[in-house]
Amino acid sequence: MTEKTPKRTQHILETEDIIINFGGLTAVNNVNVKVPYQSIFSIIGPNGAGKTTFFNCISGFYKIDSGTVFFQGRPINGIPTDEVANLGISRTYQNIRLFSSMSVIENILIGQQPRLRSNSVDAIFQTYRNRREEKQSIQKAANLLDFVGLSGYANELSRNLPYGAQRRLEIARALGNNPHLLLLDEPCAGMNPHESDAMIELINTLRSELKITIILIEHDMKVVMNISDHIVVLDHGEKIAEGTPEVIRNDQRVIEAYLGSETETLVEKYARRKNQGKQAE
Amino acid sequence: MKNTSAVAVRKGVLTAIILIFLQLINMTAALGAMLEKMITSAKSVKSVSPLFYGVIVALVAFFIAFSFIRSLYRPGKPKPTPLYCLGESLVIGLVSGVLIAALNALISTLNANGVKIRTYLDMMAPDAIKTAAFGREIPVMIGIYLALTIAGALLGGLIAWIIKSTGQPANAWAALQRAIAENHTIRFIRRNKIVRILVIIAILIFVFALPFILSPYGISILGLVLIYAVLGLGLNLIVGLSGQLVFGFVAFYAIGAYTFALLTAPKPLGLEFSFPIAFLVALAISGLSGVIVGLPIMNLRGDYLAIVTLGFAEIIRSLVNSNLLADFTGGPQGIKDIGQPRQPGFIESLIGKPMPENIYFLYVIMIFFAVTLYIVYRLQYSRVGRSWEAMREDETVAQACGVATSYYKVLAVIIGAVIAGAAGALYASRNTYIGPGDFVFMVSVNSLAVIVVGGMGSIPGALIGAFIIKGVPELLRDLENYRMVVFGVLLIAMMIIRPEGLLPIRRKKIYAEPDKDLEILKKELKP
Ligand SMILES: Nc1ncnc2c1ncn2[C@@H]1O[C@H](COP(=O)(O)OP(=O)(O)O)[C@@H](O)[C@H]1O
Ligand SMILES: [Mg+2]
Repeated sequence: MTEKTPKRTQHILETEDIIINFGGLTAVNNVNVKVPYQSIFSIIGPNGAGKTTFFNCISGFYKIDSGTVFFQGRPINGIPTDEVANLGISRTYQNIRLFSSMSVIENILIGQQPRLRSNSVDAIFQTYRNRREEKQSIQKAANLLDFVGLSGYANELSRNLPYGAQRRLEIARALGNNPHLLLLDEPCAGMNPHESDAMIELINTLRSELKITIILIEHDMKVVMNISDHIVVLDHGEKIAEGTPEVIRNDQRVIEAYLGSETETLVEKYARRKNQGKQAE
Repeated sequence: MKNTSAVAVRKGVLTAIILIFLQLINMTAALGAMLEKMITSAKSVKSVSPLFYGVIVALVAFFIAFSFIRSLYRPGKPKPTPLYCLGESLVIGLVSGVLIAALNALISTLNANGVKIRTYLDMMAPDAIKTAAFGREIPVMIGIYLALTIAGALLGGLIAWIIKSTGQPANAWAALQRAIAENHTIRFIRRNKIVRILVIIAILIFVFALPFILSPYGISILGLVLIYAVLGLGLNLIVGLSGQLVFGFVAFYAIGAYTFALLTAPKPLGLEFSFPIAFLVALAISGLSGVIVGLPIMNLRGDYLAIVTLGFAEIIRSLVNSNLLADFTGGPQGIKDIGQPRQPGFIESLIGKPMPENIYFLYVIMIFFAVTLYIVYRLQYSRVGRSWEAMREDETVAQACGVATSYYKVLAVIIGAVIAGAAGALYASRNTYIGPGDFVFMVSVNSLAVIVVGGMGSIPGALIGAFIIKGVPELLRDLENYRMVVFGVLLIAMMIIRPEGLLPIRRKKIYAEPDKDLEILKKELKP
């Protein structure tokens, strides 16, 4: 099956009937998605719907119980996460996971791992390869820091950065891998509207300038409706709808699943939830 | 007295309890003797002179009063007046003086009436009782004790007050760091390249001359400290950088030592290889043992390495200790006449005669230490070291960033094992004798202590840690039985004051000017 598939299919990522169970709970149930190249593809759904779990299945954190994940036409389920990264899939985390007692620029240097070749012998003897690679990767890290607006912070410990900056650093680290596909797990969570706008700008640039395909999990409906080409709605691990933002906004099943017989729209419900969250804080 | 508080009385009782405790285990005398030896530079002090005994008593009162007065300065509370401070100190001195003097009056009276206190209190020999009474009559003795504790406490309180009221940082370490940072000379040295090079040259010359300056005892201690520093550097890679706990590091040390010993000693195998060949084989075998230990755990998460190495170390120790294998390993008797490196001819032609063995060997150890230092430094500040640190920080995320965690785990264990093997081979060659007793669990504990005290993952920390763990106990030798007690107290105090170790790991600053050009970034990010 794999031999015959052309390297470059129409879709960068496809999932076929993937299922994962945790004990009695089916966190992802028969989810099929087809993510076109250079699209911004969003996954929405209430908390506990299985969105993060879906990411974990793609990046190899969890072994799926059945189904297949195809990346550029090749099945990738079952391979270790570092090899998934080598293929050009990068990700960020819902609860930020930086290397907290390393410096900001070191975090990005780690992100470049899959693209580096020098080994311990090169390091000990300071070979030409090692020196060149070190110089190039530091320059690239500096450019990435500048790109996400953190160039003044290079030698700060990453745990000392403000919250929004940590989110952007996670993206910069993910970019270090020169990814084809970037998985962003709630990049705007906890941000104020101003910061969210900047994030939208950043994500748009990633796609338009750097030609990276993006799968986005996001609760902020303004963000999702604004930048997505395509949206998939998960609920209780199942895909209940998909389509363009316009379609999702008016999808009867989505509205029913979320709101029952009430009349408010999904957008309003999300807005309300967000406000509640703010008040709770 | 109006200005006194119950707390000061309690502190006075505490002082007395400490004094009584020290006296009952005879430690006051031991500490006094050490101080006397240090100050008068007498070769050995059989029984401490009353002066130094008294100084120790006063010092205890000093420290208690000092820390108490310091603790009075709390943010939000009014600053105590100097008179109040002195009053509190006086109470501490008075209370503790009365109590300790009362105890000694009691002991002296009992002793004078023929009661053999020694049968109840092991340490209270008649000599000790006399020393504790300053060799005087009871009334005079009480006066001396009161004078000592009061003077000590007043001085402590006064100094605490001066420090606090002049706004000096109370934390001596912070004060020292600030002083160093602000010192013009040091700043000049740091900034000026030529001066810096000169300083480095001066340090090198000093290091080079060191083996000739030191006494034979000093040479032997420095050698041991450096061997432990090498051991610490190796363990640092595994524990401090890659974040895997190791409980049985002695295993690799033992393997290096035994490989080297068996290859060079006339018995039991009779191979008698030369130093370089045996050394290289020892490195290879200990590296191999690293592979054997590392491979089974490379895909596991958690502290398996700690347990696996612990078991491995026990296996190695039982093997070399067993009578069955005595024909191959020397058994419980160990191995004698282990080979030493031969001095190259140019040394003799240079200085006219062969260098003394111990001096020459110290140079050998220094060279190996320097080489290890260089290798570890290069690794730590490279892609490899960063990968290890990322694993330590968050193994899952490191792997998702593309760090081949299994590979780097095993790599850390192998390199650490090779370094430990080198330390072991050096140790065997230096001692010319090794036995199973040299490779007990305590070596693993000590090497962990080296990096904990020095600072996890810190390269200079390994040297400082080795000095403290292996050098300081030697310096404390005059304390005899109390050596380990004092050492333990020192360690605890250090971990309270500097929980991250004496010289915590330093992040190397990395600078690069961004190109500020999206086109360049696009090119750099081409998949
Ligand atoms: N490792 C795990 N073990 C057990 N249950 C899990 C695990 N990971 C996720 N789940 C469960 O799967 C469901 C989906 O979680 P998640 O994917 O985090 O939801 P979300 O859509 O909010 O990101 C939740 O009910 C969660 O409790
Ligand atoms: Mg989630």
